[in-house]
Amino acid sequence: MGENEYKNRNGQSDNPQLCQKNGAVVIFLLLFLIASFAIPGFFRFSNFMLIIKQAAIPAIACIGMTLVLMTGGIDLSLGYNIGLCSIAVGLMIKSYGMPIWLAVLLTLLLGGFVGLVNGLCVQLLHVPAFITTLGTGYVLLGLAQIISNGVSINRLPEAFLALGKTPVGQLNTTVLIALAVCLLFYYLMHLSTYGRELAAFGLNGNASRLSGLNTGAINLSVYILCGVLASLAGVLLTIDVNCAQPTMGGGNYTFTVITAAVLGGVSLFGGVGGVVGAVFGTLSLKVIHNCINLLNAPYYMVDAIMGIIILLAIIFENVKNRVL
Amino acid sequence: MTMTQNAAKRWSRPVLAAAGAAVFLLLAFQVPNFLSVDNLLNVVRQSSIVSLVSYGMAMVIIIKGIDLSVGGLIAFCPMVSGLMMQAGVPIFPALLAGIAAGALMGFFSGVMVEKLEVPAFITTLVVGQVATGFALMLEGGNSIGGLPEAYVFIGNGKLLGIPISDYITVFFVILSAVIMGRTSLGTHIYALGGNETVVKQQGISTAKINYFVFTFSGICAALAGLLLSAQMNTVHPSQGGNYQLDAVAACVIGGVNMAGGEGKVYMALVGSLIIGLVRNALNLLGLHPYYQNLIVGIIIIAIVAVSMFNHMKKIESSKVF
Repeated sequence: MGENEYKNRNGQSDNPQLCQKNGAVVIFLLLFLIASFAIPGFFRFSNFMLIIKQAAIPAIACIGMTLVLMTGGIDLSLGYNIGLCSIAVGLMIKSYGMPIWLAVLLTLLLGGFVGLVNGLCVQLLHVPAFITTLGTGYVLLGLAQIISNGVSINRLPEAFLALGKTPVGQLNTTVLIALAVCLLFYYLMHLSTYGRELAAFGLNGNASRLSGLNTGAINLSVYILCGVLASLAGVLLTIDVNCAQPTMGGGNYTFTVITAAVLGGVSLFGGVGGVVGAVFGTLSLKVIHNCINLLNAPYYMVDAIMGIIILLAIIFENVKNRVL
Repeated sequence: MTMTQNAAKRWSRPVLAAAGAAVFLLLAFQVPNFLSVDNLLNVVRQSSIVSLVSYGMAMVIIIKGIDLSVGGLIAFCPMVSGLMMQAGVPIFPALLAGIAAGALMGFFSGVMVEKLEVPAFITTLVVGQVATGFALMLEGGNSIGGLPEAYVFIGNGKLLGIPISDYITVFFVILSAVIMGRTSLGTHIYALGGNETVVKQQGISTAKINYFVFTFSGICAALAGLLLSAQMNTVHPSQGGNYQLDAVAACVIGGVNMAGGEGKVYMALVGSLIIGLVRNALNLLGLHPYYQNLIVGIIIIAIVAVSMFNHMKKIESSKVF
């Protein structure tokens, strides 16, 4: 509803808004159809399960990023937050011998704290989100390298790995966790008053403040939630590769997540976006990646092909929006 | 509104200058060898890559955009030149081809922003990814070594005791400052960042401005990449790294406003020199490089927080609600 209103008001050609409500699903279905017909070995149940497994962790991070983008902000520190949380959970479990539940809980709190710092800088110091998170990104990278001394920690305990690697049918617990996150945030963003307030704040911060919304709390909350989701992604990534690294995630991961969010139809100007878009954006990215792998393209071709397909998808979206 | 902006400008400049001077004096007294001419020239040389990128970045930020493609271009453009040099093409045309490649990619970003109205952030993010991909593809993921002597000399040689990289850095900052300060194009660039509607109503072509700014940024990135390769005597397909973020940081530290319309290109040079000086001082102090990122991050937030604090105070005092 809120999205429709936005479209009507700003539907002129000078509106740089990227995607409409169902853009993400349309792009995903197009990619899916093309891949099914053109790529041998794509249309197989086990391959779909593989894509879902690969998309689970980025989808969690992408939902966090979507929350922040909804307010018109951005979190460039997300990838570095993943790295810090990865090495933190590894250190707590392996070097300090903490119980696993406590280590994971503390890591999630750490991620939330990083988000809180981001939010406070944006809300209280009025530093633009782009610059705040650019700065905290450097800080987190430094911190991760300092506490780990640049060394990664591998061979983590089985009980810890079981958190994400226990098979469930053809999937694993990581996918179940991601699914739970999706459902929770679908409720938060689309069925609760919080979601409406978030969209209102993203569309027009001043108007929603004057209408009596607690905009400060909303703004803080998205950064904290994004931090927690980033740290969850960091923990699951650590489990996935069985190695805690300070350089995990990093700037490239951040930009991959932003790309997924953009493919998912989130507006960088705030107010437009959702969980469905974030999930389908991530799935689209992974479908492209999967196809390139199935075609046995050499690794050095992957980036260029991915880039060109994403470029075409964005051009397609934009042209579609202007024609329709 | 203009009054508050002017007031913020009046305030933030001296604050930044005073803070910078204080840090510089502290470093000069505390760090051995910091103030030697050789060391300072070396800092300029080490900062030359970020500086070159930041000139174009500053212009893009002034028109309310951002150029995230520079990291990709820093890898892609020297790859083009490097392959040509390897094939026996003389240096000058090879360098020109690399710069043309950067200009072309920049121009493409400009067209996407102007004609398709895709936000600069998304456009350049994806163009950067394509450029990174091309850099990997051109040589099958390998790096190019054994570049011509004369080319390596550009990166590492000295003229009259001053590194050639320093001349290049200074030449291009003067060029950019002249464009921004002495030509009508520069005035239009500031105007587009300040108020797009007014620019359109005045009959000024926004296309011309967008094309120029993004092309110029592409050229700056190409130059930076070529200089980086000359300094290292290799073209590495992933040498672009995170230069786009470093360049944005340099602009921000130099007081270029992310909200568009204000900022000076030479202040971007100052910003990158501040980052360079801090990293250099920490090195001389024997602190581990890990701490450098930490401190650079804190400086970025602190500088912007100070200028925003002054800015907000003025706005609060003029608020009606």
